[in-house]
Amino acid sequence: MKSAKRSLRLSLVMFLALLFQLQGQQSTRPDPGVRPAEGTATATAQQPAQQQPQLKFAILGDTGTGGRQQYEVGQKLTATRGTFPFEFVILLGDNMYGGENAKDFQTKFEKPYEALLKTGIKFYASLGNHDVPERQITYKLFNMDGKRYYTFKPKDGVRFFALDSNYMDKRQLEWLETELKNSGSEWKIPFFHHPIYSSGEKHGPALELRKVLEPLLIKYGVDVVFAGHEHFYERLKPQNDIQYFTLGSSAKLRKGGITGRSAITAKGFDADNAFMIAEIAGDEMSFQAISRTGTVVDSGKFRRVERKASN
Amino acid sequence: MRTHLSSRHTRTAALCLLLLLISACVENSQATSPQATLPQATPPQAQSKEFEAGIDKYMQIHRKAVGAVPALPRESSDAALIAKHQQQLAGKIRELRPKAMVGEVFSPAVRQMVIAIIKQKTEGKDGAAVKATILGDGNPKSAESPAPVNLAVNGTYPASAPLSTMPPSILMALPMLPKELEYRFVGRNLILLDSQANLIVDFIPNVL
Repeated sequence: MKSAKRSLRLSLVMFLALLFQLQGQQSTRPDPGVRPAEGTATATAQQPAQQQPQLKFAILGDTGTGGRQQYEVGQKLTATRGTFPFEFVILLGDNMYGGENAKDFQTKFEKPYEALLKTGIKFYASLGNHDVPERQITYKLFNMDGKRYYTFKPKDGVRFFALDSNYMDKRQLEWLETELKNSGSEWKIPFFHHPIYSSGEKHGPALELRKVLEPLLIKYGVDVVFAGHEHFYERLKPQNDIQYFTLGSSAKLRKGGITGRSAITAKGFDADNAFMIAEIAGDEMSFQAISRTGTVVDSGKFRRVERKASN
Repeated sequence: MRTHLSSRHTRTAALCLLLLLISACVENSQATSPQATLPQATPPQAQSKEFEAGIDKYMQIHRKAVGAVPALPRESSDAALIAKHQQQLAGKIRELRPKAMVGEVFSPAVRQMVIAIIKQKTEGKDGAAVKATILGDGNPKSAESPAPVNLAVNGTYPASAPLSTMPPSILMALPMLPKELEYRFVGRNLILLDSQANLIVDFIPNVL
């Protein structure tokens, strides 16, 4: 009887200790509702996330010049893969400037990224205003499946939406709404050409597009948006809990293109060409913007906001 | 007693009026919700029907041409094959509508409707931004990305020329097109583009 009581007391103590430990673990988790956009410039490339990696990808925007800068960015991106093994690349439009014949596809896409294509890295393209839709949507290496706008899910819990921002009609908006609604609680990552927030002196934000697109992005809990068009890199302060990046300088460059007066810029880089790498680890995304010469010009991480997607 | 009743009636009437005002305010606030920011214009029925008939007639030709040229796989890594297919398709369409001329789809009545819609969307302060989007980077006549485009029915839209950005407010207001066709601008001229064949189907000069 006495030993039974002792073992009961022991079990109770162990149970309480376990409970205490569990509570301690929970209290060290960051608040999912808080989402600081931490951006700090560092001098060398490093692994962006400390957690167990779930998905690594790279981002290029406004690439298709066939010029020296495009090739140099391509080489640096290839080299980066040695330390950061990204699984695919998204293209933010203007994938082909000027002509779009077979030779153009070689010199403005296949050659600059030859080493990556050889290792089986997939490129997912979106259309810009310099792209001929019919030639690109059927081009196998752009993985558009014959569609001007499409969605793909590279991993469980993450969904990308490639949009055609150059022709945002009712049909596309209805499609997007359906896809966002059906995507549930995944990371939702639209990418397209025209930025709806931008501090570009030349173009600025696509306000008309924002009017129709932003209500959907907010309503269905989009987490992060990538756009190109402006020939520089810009990370914007989160707008309505959505993190926006502009990257249109992976081949073209508008030096000094970011207005100094903008209150929405979190970090800008318009001194050289750039590309991005990003990693999703659970509810966190870490990112780096890297210049043509390999300098990390921006880096940081943010948590996605826990929101209930509307129906 | 009568005075008491009358003041009671006045109070009830005032209350009803207040309720009506509140309900009107609620309705009004719903009407300006984000989804209602771009109202759909309803073009006059007869003009719309005429336009639909013109589009249907063209699409019959388009489909016939698609059936007559060697099929293109859904995806191909051969960019030359894709370009060749587009040229073959355009060639076949030209063969099937050799006498096509300006106004075949954009008839005078349709033209009037389209111009009215675009004018409405490009006027005023908001309209200035819409117009700037159309005429900005992407428009082949813009200073930033100039490219020669020969404005001609059955003419090729050059693969080297950019495509004008179409403001969503304009696309929402104009009649919806089959997915093979697009509205685009070349300078201030509106074109109807067969995007599969990269061919100018029809155009309206000086819409803006």
